[in-house]
Amino acid sequence: MEPKRRALLAAVAAGALLFTACAATPGATTSGGATQAGAGEFAGTPSGTLKAWGFENADDVGQSRLDYVAKQLSGVTVSLDATAFDSQKFITRQASGDMPDVVQMDRALVATYAAQGLITPLGECFAAQNVDPAATYYKNVVADVTYKGDIYAVPQFFQPPAIIVNNRVAKAAGVAPEDIDTSNLDTLLAAISKMYKEKNGKPTTLGFDPQAHSNTQLWMLALGGKLTDDQGAPTLTDPANAAAFEWLKKVYDAQGGFAKVKSFSDTFDFFGDKNQYVADQVGAQMNFQWYPNVLASTMKKIDIWTVPIKDASGNTFAAASGSAFVIPAGAKNKAAACAWAVGLTSSESWMAAAEARAATRAKDGAPNTGLMTGRPDMDQKIKTEYVKSVGNEGFDQTVSAFYDVLPSGASFGASPAGESIKAELSNALISFLSGDKDANTALADAQTAAESAYQSVVG
Amino acid sequence: MAKVARSPKLPRQRVRYNRREALVGLAFISPWIVGFLVFTAGAMIYSLVLSFSNYNLARNTMAYAGWANYERLFTDPKLAAALSNTLVYVILAVPAEIVVALGLALLLAAAGRGAGFFRTTFYLPKMTPSVATASMFLLLLNGNTGAINQFLGWFGIQGPQWLVDPAWIKPSIVLMTLWGVSGTMVIFLAALKNVPRELYEVASLDGAGPIRQFWNVTLPMISPVLFFNTVILSIAGFQVFDQAYLLFWRDQSGGAAGASDSSLFYAVYLFQQAFRQFKFGYAAAMAWLLFCIIMAVTAIQRAVSKRLVYYEGE
Repeated sequence: MEPKRRALLAAVAAGALLFTACAATPGATTSGGATQAGAGEFAGTPSGTLKAWGFENADDVGQSRLDYVAKQLSGVTVSLDATAFDSQKFITRQASGDMPDVVQMDRALVATYAAQGLITPLGECFAAQNVDPAATYYKNVVADVTYKGDIYAVPQFFQPPAIIVNNRVAKAAGVAPEDIDTSNLDTLLAAISKMYKEKNGKPTTLGFDPQAHSNTQLWMLALGGKLTDDQGAPTLTDPANAAAFEWLKKVYDAQGGFAKVKSFSDTFDFFGDKNQYVADQVGAQMNFQWYPNVLASTMKKIDIWTVPIKDASGNTFAAASGSAFVIPAGAKNKAAACAWAVGLTSSESWMAAAEARAATRAKDGAPNTGLMTGRPDMDQKIKTEYVKSVGNEGFDQTVSAFYDVLPSGASFGASPAGESIKAELSNALISFLSGDKDANTALADAQTAAESAYQSVVG
Repeated sequence: MAKVARSPKLPRQRVRYNRREALVGLAFISPWIVGFLVFTAGAMIYSLVLSFSNYNLARNTMAYAGWANYERLFTDPKLAAALSNTLVYVILAVPAEIVVALGLALLLAAAGRGAGFFRTTFYLPKMTPSVATASMFLLLLNGNTGAINQFLGWFGIQGPQWLVDPAWIKPSIVLMTLWGVSGTMVIFLAALKNVPRELYEVASLDGAGPIRQFWNVTLPMISPVLFFNTVILSIAGFQVFDQAYLLFWRDQSGGAAGASDSSLFYAVYLFQQAFRQFKFGYAAAMAWLLFCIIMAVTAIQRAVSKRLVYYEGE
């Protein structure tokens, strides 16, 4: 090869590599950082363009709140990326310095992102908006988004869990709703056995579906387990967790075992006209507060009654995740982001949503089950003004029962390894229920993995 | 190019023409060269640098970590589980894909009328989006009501809990992989069409039946393609991601909706380390380990192929 040609090729190659290297030079700084935003960044009249990410497929509640806050912030132009949160997309945008000013994400993720310095503490934001989070939101909801004493998100929604009993199945089996008592395993197992039916070795009616594989943290806490310590470090080998695993195994084994229950529940028409309550495929099932909205369309075909989840002492227990608004460290318009996020959870915004929901329900001829906003004052006000009897005792009781469990809310705890803890715990439970590992081994393996994730952040 | 330039016998005008022709050729392929340098070579070099560092996403900075990320590869029990799952998958999936693809290609090669119709029909599954395929297999593989277990039930066989029982999770993902085997089938079909007819005629005159002809004529003649497909499928097998992720690991908030470690494949774990736990350095080290494993396996396959693969003209 001639020297000139060799030099030309070398230059092309070097140029391309230089271009690549420039695209991601180690040590390059971004507009982001882990520093706490000063009060000045949140204070002042919101203006300019606000880049927001969230509200995928916004329903009447979401849209009415967006409309309300748009009117309030008339000097702000909102550019909304109405897609679901995606960690890969967040990371890509962070790395490229193109962060939105405000992002909607699951509360379970907040501590993880806070620990990485990717989002901003919002103490000054709340102060600038004259909002006292402790007096505004449920304590457990605030705890979900608090990391090392700082609140990192504006929370919204707390839709607690309870157990919706299928009265038709229960009555036929001689079971009363009170028998679905999670504080008394023997009574519960007896009720499950009475309601459970199978054909050719396959379930046709479950006694009680706890949906534990996708709500493992909820059941651990309800059954006295412990997920994290005060610092957010995982404590999955706590003996109470193994006991909770055994409790759940007995519940599944009383109705064919986990594999059969899981495969059967996967076939439910969960959101459809032939849902598991219409088709009598469950005697009882754990569900969250939004689910009665789904059942409302089939109200005339079902007979339901709702009982709370109880801890071992017989006290009502509720824990649920939800979403929240965070302001990335790299946000450029933090004042508008703060005003927008807080405005979306203001009392006026929620009342606008409640009005919109009432109108939608009236138009559809469906019952209004209320809104569970994450704010106790709003929940009660909306209930008083908009939640009316629908003339169906069981449905009315169900709506009321979910309101009754609201004060019993508990936090899952905020941990920098929150995602990992949740995933590892779920894996451990499935490994145990599938017979792959015993409870202690499964939890020990989960602890090792979660501890590694925790140490990689704080270590 | 270099040989031509050095040749003293070529006239000056010819040399100049060849040089211009080479430059034009380079210009035409320059988009690929730039793409390769930026998106492949550049990304690989960056990944290598990343693997020796701890990357802070919030500050977009790297701190030199030495061999720490590589050392962790040997002490991470989840990585060992993911690698083991992936190896089992490759061992199950590659032979199954080869057999099914070759079987389908043989059927198509034998088809007379309507061959085009069948070729198109057989290829359609490849065109189905992965998400749609995963949703369909969630129903097909349901342990209680799935069509596959109902089919087995006709023969008195009680099918397993495919997607729940840890022992059957990998075979169920292999089944899902077989759904998209038509790409491999088309390559086999092309190879089968290229086997000289006269070889079959001669074999037939010598008294060879269909099985003998397949064993002694077809297989040797398509062995280069067989080798090619084995290598390509092995590489793809080590990188399996879509099927496991869609069936078990979609939950954005980290909870595994029905997943356990038995469905944790190497690429899924790598993705989790990078994009869920922000351990980019460790994820990059994982990527390089996988690269080395694939290189080693390919080298072994290549060495073995020298004894088994027949190249015409050699």
